[in-house]
Formats: sequence, C-alpha cells, structure tokens
Amino acid sequence: MTVGRDSPKSSYLAASDMLAVVSASLPDAELYIAIDAEGRVTAFNGHVDLGTGIRTSLAQIVAEELDMLFENVEMVLGSTSAVPNQGATIASETIQVTAKPLQRAAATARQYLLRRAAERLQLPPENLVVEDGIIRAVTGENRSLSFGDLVTGANVQLVLDPEAPLKPVADYRIVGSSRPRVDIPAKATGRWTYVHDVRLPGMLHGRVVRPPYAGFDHGAHVGTSLISVDESSVEHIPGLVAVVAIGDFVGVVATREENAAEAAKSLKAVWRLPPELPDLNSPEEALRANPSTPRKLADRGNVDLALEGAANAMDRTYVWPYQMHGSIGPSCAVADYRDDRLTVWSGTQNPFPMRKDLSVLLDMPEESITVERLEAAGCYGRNCADDVTADAALLSRAVGQAVRVQLTREQEHAWEPKGAAQVIDVRGGLDLEGGPAGYDFETRYPSNLAPTLPLLLTGKISPVADVLQMGDRTAIPPYAYGNLRVTVHDMPPIARASWFRGVSAMPNTFAHESYVDELASAAGVDPIEYRLRYLQDPRAVDLVRATAERAKWVPHTGPGTLGGEGDLLYGRGFAYAVYVHGKFPGTAAAWAAWVADVAVNRKTGEIAVTKVTCGQDSGLMINPDGVRHQIHGNIIQSTSRVLKEQVGFSSTAVTSKEWGGYSLITFPEVPDIDVLMIPRPDEPPLGVGESASVPSAAAIANAVFDATGIRFRELPLTPERVLAGLNGKEIEKTVSPVRRRRWWTMGVPVVGILSAVAGLATMASPWRPAISSVDKPDPNVYSAVTIERGRLAAAAGACNVCHVGTDGRAFAGGRRFDTPFGAVYATNITSDPENGIGNWSYPAFERAMRQGISRDGHHLYPAHPYTSFAGAEEADLQALYAFMMTQAPVAQKAPETKLAFPYSIRSMMAGWNAMFLKAAPFSYDQAKDAVWNRGAYLVETLGHCSACHTERNVLGAEKTGKARLSGGFADGWEAPALNALAKGPVTWTETAFYDYLRSGYARDHGSAAGPMADVVSALAPLPDSDIRAMAVYLSRLNTSPASETPDVQTQAAITASATASEQAARISPKGARIFEGACASCHEGNSILSPLTLNSNLHSDVPDNVLQVLMNGVEAPAILAETTGRGAPEVMSMPAFRDVLDKGQMEDLTAYLRARFAPGKEAWAGTGPAIDHIKSMVH
Amino acid sequence: MTKMSVPSLFSLKVNGRNVVVEADPKAPLLYILRNDLALNGPKYGCGLGECGACCILIDGRAVRSCMIPIAAIAKREITTLEGLGDEEHLHPVQQAFIEESGAQCGYCLNGMIISAVALLDRNPDPQETDIREALRHNLCRCGTHIEILAAVRKAVVLSKAASSASAHSVVPETQA
Repeated sequence: MTVGRDSPKSSYLAASDMLAVVSASLPDAELYIAIDAEGRVTAFNGHVDLGTGIRTSLAQIVAEELDMLFENVEMVLGSTSAVPNQGATIASETIQVTAKPLQRAAATARQYLLRRAAERLQLPPENLVVEDGIIRAVTGENRSLSFGDLVTGANVQLVLDPEAPLKPVADYRIVGSSRPRVDIPAKATGRWTYVHDVRLPGMLHGRVVRPPYAGFDHGAHVGTSLISVDESSVEHIPGLVAVVAIGDFVGVVATREENAAEAAKSLKAVWRLPPELPDLNSPEEALRANPSTPRKLADRGNVDLALEGAANAMDRTYVWPYQMHGSIGPSCAVADYRDDRLTVWSGTQNPFPMRKDLSVLLDMPEESITVERLEAAGCYGRNCADDVTADAALLSRAVGQAVRVQLTREQEHAWEPKGAAQVIDVRGGLDLEGGPAGYDFETRYPSNLAPTLPLLLTGKISPVADVLQMGDRTAIPPYAYGNLRVTVHDMPPIARASWFRGVSAMPNTFAHESYVDELASAAGVDPIEYRLRYLQDPRAVDLVRATAERAKWVPHTGPGTLGGEGDLLYGRGFAYAVYVHGKFPGTAAAWAAWVADVAVNRKTGEIAVTKVTCGQDSGLMINPDGVRHQIHGNIIQSTSRVLKEQVGFSSTAVTSKEWGGYSLITFPEVPDIDVLMIPRPDEPPLGVGESASVPSAAAIANAVFDATGIRFRELPLTPERVLAGLNGKEIEKTVSPVRRRRWWTMGVPVVGILSAVAGLATMASPWRPAISSVDKPDPNVYSAVTIERGRLAAAAGACNVCHVGTDGRAFAGGRRFDTPFGAVYATNITSDPENGIGNWSYPAFERAMRQGISRDGHHLYPAHPYTSFAGAEEADLQALYAFMMTQAPVAQKAPETKLAFPYSIRSMMAGWNAMFLKAAPFSYDQAKDAVWNRGAYLVETLGHCSACHTERNVLGAEKTGKARLSGGFADGWEAPALNALAKGPVTWTETAFYDYLRSGYARDHGSAAGPMADVVSALAPLPDSDIRAMAVYLSRLNTSPASETPDVQTQAAITASATASEQAARISPKGARIFEGACASCHEGNSILSPLTLNSNLHSDVPDNVLQVLMNGVEAPAILAETTGRGAPEVMSMPAFRDVLDKGQMEDLTAYLRARFAPGKEAWAGTGPAIDHIKSMVH
Repeated sequence: MTKMSVPSLFSLKVNGRNVVVEADPKAPLLYILRNDLALNGPKYGCGLGECGACCILIDGRAVRSCMIPIAAIAKREITTLEGLGDEEHLHPVQQAFIEESGAQCGYCLNGMIISAVALLDRNPDPQETDIREALRHNLCRCGTHIEILAAVRKAVVLSKAASSASAHSVVPETQA
C-alpha cells in the first residue's frame, strides 16, 4: 500500500520543539518554514513541481538563506492542508514570484536564531557566524549552538518579517551551484510515489466514459447529451460496484482495475449527436469567424499613413495549429469521500483552485476538503489532472469508498485543454531606406482557462465559454518600430483550450521574428544585423551578440549561402524573444535567442534540425544545471511542436487519440544542442520554464528559408507541407487500384437463385423425412480408442471453432456468422437431447454430416461444410459421433437462424445440393505416398479448408477448378490462397505450413490471427504426423514453386520494402507518422516478429485482414503457442485500434502499409467501405 | 480481442521471487505488477504499446507490460525497475541516470532505464546511433533526451567497470 499524505500545517504549529515562520495574515496564518529539534527544516510552497526541479531549487534558496546544509531541507509543495495558497503554478512564476516570501521567511528564522544564540552564548550577534546550521563564535571561543539546540524546548511562531535582511549574493554558496535533483534517486529505482501510485486500504478502481463531443467544452449540448446508460451491458463484469451517471458525467467503479477498464469499454451509453464544428485542421478560417473583441495594446506613430508610403508593402499571415501538452502519463487521481469530508490525491497544477472547484462540484465547504498534491507526469500548462480529480471525487461520493480513477490515453489526448491555434496578421513594409515603415500586428488566440470538466458535465456550471485576455503575451514586438499598432482580438475558445508552454507568446514571436527576417531579407541586410539596428534593450543586445558569436554566425543577406549535398539543402536561422507572461503588460521572464541549423531534404520534404545554439539570460541562476535542463527541454519540445505537432479534428471531435495520430520527436531526431547561459548573478532570478521555447518556430522557419528560399508561415513543418512548398504542387496520387469483390459486397441475384432453384425442382425432391429420435446412447458402449479417434476428428474439423458457446462452453453453439444471405447461427451440437443432438441416432448424424439434412428433415445451410465432410471415412464419422455423445451436454438453446425470404425457404437447399454436393467418398491417389494421402484426406474432408479458402459463387457454393483453395472469405476475414496463387513474397514450404499449423507462427509469413488462430488452437490435439501430412499436401498444391530459396525471397522482400519506404511516406505522409508512432515500436527492430513485408495480408488484393488486425488486435502469439504446447517468444498482444484511430487515420495507415510493405502492388481501393463493414460486425 | 473470461491463478517469477496472483487471463501484466505486487516502477502511459513507460524485462528483453496478457507469460522471468537495484545497491544504468539527471518529471524514466539495460545486455558497446535507435520508441515529453543520452553513454562506462570489477573479484574465489 502506498499512501502519500503530507502532515497538516496544524501539526507543525502545535508541535513542541518547533520554530515556525508564518505570515502575518491572522487568524489563518500561512506557514512557510518549520525547524524541528533535530535542526531539520521543512519549507512550504504553494506551487508544485511539474518536473522542472523546483523542489530542488527552492530547497537551495531556503538552505542558502538559513546557512544550513542543503540535505537537511525538505520541501512540501502544493498540499492544501499544509502550504500557503499561492495560486496556480503557471507562467514560470515559482522562482520569480512565489519563492520570495519563502526566502524572506528563511531570513526571518535566521535572524531570530542568531539573536537567540547571542542571548544564550552571551555574545554580540556580530561575533557569531552561521555555518551548516551551526551558530558559532568567530572570536576564537570554542562555543557553538546548532539550530536544533535553539529550537528545543519551545514552540515558537515567528511572523514573517518583510524587512529581515537577505544574504548578499556575493556570499551565496548553495544558490548558484548545481545541486543534483533530490527526487531522481527514488524515481530511478521505482520508489517515488507519483499520484498514480497512491493506494489506500479498500480502494476501488474507477474509469470514466466521456461524451462524444471529445475535446469541446462549451455549447448547450455540454452536460445535456446523454440519453441513456444500459447498466445491464456491464452487469456480467466481475467485481463491478457501480455505474454512475450525472448529466453527461458517466463513470464505472469496480474492485479491480482491469475490470473497471473493461466495464468502461463495454458500457452501452446512448448520446445525442454532437453539433458540427468548423474545420479546425486548417484553423485560419475558423479563427477569423470566431466572435471577438479587439483590444489595442499599442498605437504609436501613424501606422496607416506609414504603410501607405511604404516602398514595398508586405502583408503576411502566420498560422499556428492546435497542439497538445501530451503528458506521458494520462491523468490519475484518488479520492476518499467519507463522513462529509473529502481528501483527494491529485496531480493538479493548481491545488487551491482545485479545492474550490471540488467545493462547487460537491456542494461542500472548502474547509472539508483536503487536496494532497503528488507529482504526476510532466505537464506544461493544463492537462486533465483537475478533471480526473473531480471524476474521482464524484465516484468516491457515489460508492462511499476510496476510488482511484485513471484516464485512458485516448481520454487524455482528446480532452486535455489544447494549446490553442492562433492566427496572426502583420501588415508592414520597408521605407525608402530599407527600414521598417510600419508594423500593424493583429493576433487571434481562442483560449480560456478550461473549466474543470466534471463541473460542466454535471451541469454545475454553465457551459458558456469565458473570454480571457491571454492572446497578448509577447504581442509587443521587441523592435523599435516607429509606427506600431498591436491589436489582440480577444475571443472565446473553439476547442477546449488553455495555456500551453509559451502560451500566445510562442505564436506571436513566430510572427514577429519571421517578419523581421523578411524585412532584413527584403532590405538586403544580414538578419541579425538588421535586428540589432532596432533592438534597444541592452540585455537583449548583449544576448543576441553573444549567441551569434557562440554559433559562429556568418553574416549573409540572402538564402542559399550554406549550399547542400545530394538531396539536402543546408540553412541556418536566427530568432530572439523575451517571454512576457501574466496580465498585460506582464512580467518578463528570461531572454532567449536561437540559432537553428537545418538540413532540408528536397526529395522527401523532411527537415532535420541538426543543431540548436541557444543563448539565455536568466538573471541569477539558482541551479545552473537545472536551468540548462530546462533550456534543453524547451528546445527539444518546441522543435517537436514546430516540425511535427498538430491536433487532428473530425467535424465533431478531436481525432488525435494516441501517439500515432499526434507525433512527438524521437531520439534519432533530437538535435545537437549548445547552450550559452549568460552569467548575471547580480540580477534577480527569472523564470526559465518557458523562455527557450519561444524563439523556436521562427528560428527554424528562418533556417528553412535560408536553405530553400521559401518562407513557411504555417506550422507544423511536415514533409508534405515542405514538399508542397518546394514543388508548388500536390503529391502524386496513385490511380485505379484493383478491386476484388468480397462476398459481403456481392449483390446476390435473388431472381437468379429463384429461377435456378425452380429449374432444379423437378430434378431433386426437396422433402426429406425426419429420422426418429432415439434415447441418448450410453457412453459406456464406446471404447476409449474410438472416443479418442473421435476427439481427433473433432480437432481436425475444428468443430468447436464455429460451435463454441457464446460463454465459451464447448460445442454449445450460438456463434453468429454474417453471410451474404443473412446471419447464420451455429447450432448446439452437445449431447443434450433437448437443445443439442443427444437424441440423434448415428444415421441422423451421418446424414447431417454428409448431406446437410437435420434429423427432423430440414435442410442445413452450407455454412455447415457438409460438402467437405461428405467424403469423410465412415470410421471417422462414427468415432466423431461417439466422441460427441460422450461430451458434456449443455442445456442451452442456440439462436435459430432466420434468413430473409427467399433464403428462409430451406427446401431450396435441395436444389442447391443437387448442383453442388458431390457425395462421394474421398478417393486416395495411389500414385502419391501415404503421407500426402493422409494430408489430402485431412485437408479436403474433415479439415474442410476449402470452406474458407475457396471463393464462393453467388449461391454460396465453393467454386471449383482453379478457384479451389485459391482464397476466399469467411467471418469478415480473407482466407488467403493456399496454392500457387498465394500472394506473399515467400513461397509456402512444407516447413512453413507445418510451423504455422502447429504453433500459429511461421518465420517467413507471420502469426495466425482471427479465425485461423482458433483453427490452429483447435488442431492442437492432432499428432505431429497429421500436421506434417497436411503441410506436405498443402505445400504441393503449388506445383510451380519459385526457384529461389525462402531466404533469398525474404531478403529480396525486405530490401524492396526498405527501398519503398520513402515513396510510401510520400504517398501517405500521415500514414507514415501513424506507423512510426503506433506500430513501429513493435514492428521495427523486433527480431521476434516477422517483418511485415512477409505478411501475406499486406500483399493481398483486399485490405480486409489488415484492417481486421488493426481494428480488433491480435492476441499474443505466446498464448496460442502455449495452447498448442509450443513455445513462441512474443508475449505482447497487438492492441485493437478501432476506438483510437478514426476512419481517415485507418485509411491513411493502410495506404502507407500497402505502399511500404507490398511495394509494386497497386493501392487498395475500398478501404473505407471495408472499415465500415468490419465496424458493423458483431464482435 | 475477446472479452474477459474466468479469473484464474497464475504463478509468476518477478524480480527473482515466485508469486501467485488471481486474475482474468487477459488482464494486462502492468496492472498485476502495480496493483497486486505494488511494483510502481512500470507506469501506465498509453495502453497501446506505443510510449514505453510500462517497459519491463522478460528474459532480458525490454517489452511493454501494458500489452502482455498475464496468460502469455508462463514460466518467463520478469524483472522490473525495482528488481534492477535499490538506492543502496544501484544497477550501473540507474546510477548513470541519477548522476546525469536523466529525468525531468521522471514518468518515462522507467522505460528509459529498462530499454537501456536491454540494450547494454545485447550490445555492451553501443554507438550513438545504436543508443538513439534503442530508445526511439520510448517517448519523453519533457525533452530530457540530452540528459538521457548522456546517462546511457555513462552507463556504458559504468557497466564495463562493474563487469570488470566483478570479474576481478571472482578470480580469487575460483582459484581458492
């Protein structure tokens, strides 16, 4: 059990032997510092550590001011029961703002301790020094007192003295040194307690089910879209405790996490259709149409007049996409509601606002709520941490027990408040001297604070979007433009949005710094020199010069000076910004400047950021290594945002629900980084959490211009955008793919079947007599040998694959098969007399097996493969009968098959049988050996391979001749060709067939999935010799095997696929990204799984099997191998992507897979309808 | 994938310890490790095998425990972050990550360390590109990549030192 709970403030204040420093704001004084009798210091801060290391930096500040050992300071961050209310942890404020009272509190304590020591030692204070928590005399006497000695024996509460003297910076020993992070040892050994790791006694597990308007949080439909929840849809789930629905808030609670997850997935909820939205994938139009109020931030000179007189007007628009924070861990919280009190364990960035939200949500006073703040996965603004805390509170209240709620990846992706899209217009131009004539800047930023979601879902607050003034961050350009107008169009959010690292300053700077680069270029001046002409802030000037020097910047006046090699063009770009945060005019954080080096591949459109040189002026650096790590983090994250990141939307919701649909930078793409930190120990410390992100986009876009001569003003700089820019045309589309008809798409000609049957009516009488029922045979009449032979016959026939009960009981029937004629249900073939075949005589059984006539005389449909069984040996059928009669009866009726007219007329099957049933015994081929003959017998009769692997005609009969075993469709899957028409690049050898049938895996072909995995499992009882015989027979179906060995074929296929990867990425760039994010983690660099290019399904004429696998997943091959008694190394299952990739993403991915892994084959058509079909199938 | 089925008993060998848990055969190993065995090293990140936060070692190979049904494990040996070492007895890779501050929020750290251990196991002397490829599908959002790469490079050195040290210490014993 892991419980993280901070001791409350009251326990520190009440302790004997404690020195506390509190605020003057009585009666509810805030606690900043507590020193105990051991001399250990606990310090309290209202802000939280988001992974930036402020836990360490704040402890350094405290230790420094107290002159004590850094190791003896512990920080308590964020827990409402203990720490001061200092608002939300935002805007890089912690060091710059909230650390100040803490520092003063430490100084207050130090002053007091010195005074006390002076009294106790009877020495003047100026004769004392403090070192490592020990106060000693400097005058030679060997007398000293520790902080602990001075604290012992009294409870002292000091009021924070705002005048307490601070140490001079020159004396700093701890601040300004790179102390190692205090949390990493525990994190590196799995001992750290994140909020995800909290476990309370008796804790239950919850999951939530979110509404279909994923990622949108305002409008009348919010909180009012749930029509119904069907609790019976989850009542079968073990350990289910509750289903909770309040407005649009829906959650489930179960005793185990996997069961809660299953319940959330299975719960049937009916929702109103969400409203249609403007297209946010190209957000410019939607943002311009969003209602807004202009707010003028600056207006100097006469912009309109200046621009009228400009030598060359340059009007530009910059577009920033929706992006996401993308915390690596989906948000999680634990709540414990009992006795009218609530405690939550939360990863919130805003503990006190969180407490207020909970008080509104649950109608309870804030005093009854404690927010214990624990670390969570890094967040760079606002993720779902507050949402899930409220979710947990609602579920805990509903069940009266502690509940842990873990959001899923797709919920975090879809619902986290996004970093808003932004559109910036700049009107300007050059004056006659090449200077900036005027600068008319307008920016649109649709974002607010994103209210905590359950407040909206439950209707506790109205779903009307607030308009906040947040678009103004760094909206004022840093350059001394004489004629300047800056306007912010304040607007409500469109998609749910809130601050994200750099907030609106990052897009605003993209515009400022791209534009000034364009001015420089138009003026024929080096871009840095041009900036310096108009940059007046001396620290900015110093930084720009120092950064340029560090990067060995070579002045140049136009693009292309760095040249290139092969397909690569090299370029380098500069940008500078000071990040201004908070309410306008705001507070400046650290200054930052970038020199970005890029290589642009003109063939693929890929941009590699090869190196970033970043200079930063952070003022005094509390922990230089910590600052450096923040700069690294900002550079890497912002490079990822600029090159790759954009949230996708459908017309109603967010579609980026996992890392394939929202790509992040990976290790091979990380640039080299050179950081220059300007030493400014005498200047106040500045926030460093965001600054180095801000210049990124312009620096990279300017570098791309330098390489290619083309300006990109919309992000992200994906290969397809760059290629389109380079070529000025669309990517080539592939044409006229083949389309093979599947039997679910085949219109069955009703008239044809009727006339065919009518014509046959005279030839075959449809009426068959019933065979009398018998008493169930006594199991004892059958010998063990007979029953065993029957068991093997049932295995060879894989009877239980189709006839398995819906609850898993053998042979109980009920499984549904969708055929072109309608749904066919497998029957109960257990020995139960009422519902199964217990009252069937052997002759009735044999007639059903060979002729497809049920005991009562009605015709069976050929979903039952009696056309194959017809040739089975008598002894096998007798043994099979004996086996079936000795198996456990299941008294459960399977659903009746009721096809629509005319297929409901079962007697028509008589005519069908006359046409297609060849009731001859299997004939052995004396020219072939016994093994071949055994294999042929198993494959062609009991094994009925042709039932699936042969295409059927319009009447549902297996085709003959060349079509035989040349591939067919069954149960929504393609059953590929088993003969020379097999599509995979490697010939199926005897060994491959054997391995595949025996273990479900063949090295050169991959793993069995879908119905074939069930068949392999069913074949497990057969002896190796039978599997070998089938493999021999099947491998010889291909009478003209390739001359190359499988190894040669494999190598050729792998080479072809590797060569095709570039082209595939051009054909489907989104598909390439989805593959990289969602598939490659297992399918590349994995020596255990077969290369995808060997997989027959990718080479097929139809995408059905690939889609089946993508949508429904594949169970770990190790499980199938275990059931067959063979080891297989891959223990990971393939996940089902049906709920996380939408139709468009599936199509993109499938197109990529086809182009990359089946190079040279035509693109698939009909992927969309195939996806719809698989989605519609009962699964 | 098929629905939940009847809970069963499974014997697992985790960090050298034999344990028995009762769960649905399809339950992800990640939940079992965290909820039944209180091993918090592996983290839930995506449940789709994409991000690597839940990595563990199975027979020395780095795999994603969110995608492993408990029924697939059979007799294979499981090692989690906790099984590599604790603060008193750090694994060289853990030590390298601490010394190089290879974490910001640290949520991805488990996967980074596990993947690095697996890399050094199969390639004790990896080049820069080998390291970057080995970590390619372990996502970090804080942008700690530079420190993580430095940590793996240091881990190469520390691992070599550790293995040569243990080789030395073994010699007298075997001679004795």
